[in-house]
Amino acid sequence: MYKFPKKKMLGQDAVPTTSLADMMFLLLIFFIMTTTLTRVTGIVSDMPAGSKAQQPQSEKTPMISLHDNKITMNDKDMTREEMERTLKGMKLEQKSGNAKVVILATEGDVSYQDYYQTMAFIQNCGGIVAIESEEEGGTK
Amino acid sequence: MNRMSRHELPVVPTANLVDIAILLIIFYMACSNFVSQQGAALKLPRANGLEKLSEPLVLVAIDSQGAITFQGRPVSSAADIESGVAELLKDKTTDEMRHVMLRCDAAVSRRVFEPVLNAIVQGGGIVVAVGEKTGEQP
Repeated sequence: MYKFPKKKMLGQDAVPTTSLADMMFLLLIFFIMTTTLTRVTGIVSDMPAGSKAQQPQSEKTPMISLHDNKITMNDKDMTREEMERTLKGMKLEQKSGNAKVVILATEGDVSYQDYYQTMAFIQNCGGIVAIESEEEGGTK
Repeated sequence: MNRMSRHELPVVPTANLVDIAILLIIFYMACSNFVSQQGAALKLPRANGLEKLSEPLVLVAIDSQGAITFQGRPVSSAADIESGVAELLKDKTTDEMRHVMLRCDAAVSRRVFEPVLNAIVQGGGIVVAVGEKTGEQP
């Protein structure tokens, strides 16, 4: 005949949970220290791929060239403020398709800060940035 | 009453403390993103009117020394990024899935960042260039 085991005293088999709170707080401190709750900020740029030979741009496509400390827009030297004013005046947000494209070229020594600032401005004006970069035997 | 307080110390109820701690841990675990710490020492470029973005799965970083990393691993040239991006995005159909995050130091020269930008575009990615907000939109 099966005998039921004798009931042990209450609390004898209980899982010790006194240190659980300490462990939880250690984990909590770890996650608080390592978490970054701020979301990243930036620009999303769907740049057209391909080379100039494959996708010929119309002559009217605006071209901004950054070189050293100078800015040229459609072969005309201008300050950043002038370039921004000209871009705003083009009302790119109202255009569609290839008319939104602005070619961004670089020459000489250009920092990413200058490039990024220009790229962000073109994006904010509703334009699409197309890169023009040097390649062996031509431009891309 | 005075006699009681002399003998029994007031007890702060701590039974629910563990539950609260567990809830907070779950919250922080859900919100954590350890991969974003890659290239944390970078000085990001600043510009106006940047938008808040969700973090894409493909990450490219360029530090102030011009060292390029792709998915946390150092790569020797932009060509490695083009093949890597193309490989990772080959089955991706939507625009959102083609996002490639570029974290680049503000001082990096165009000779370093431009081939990387080109490689991302040629690999089929949409560039998500990370920066810091400076002011209002134009």
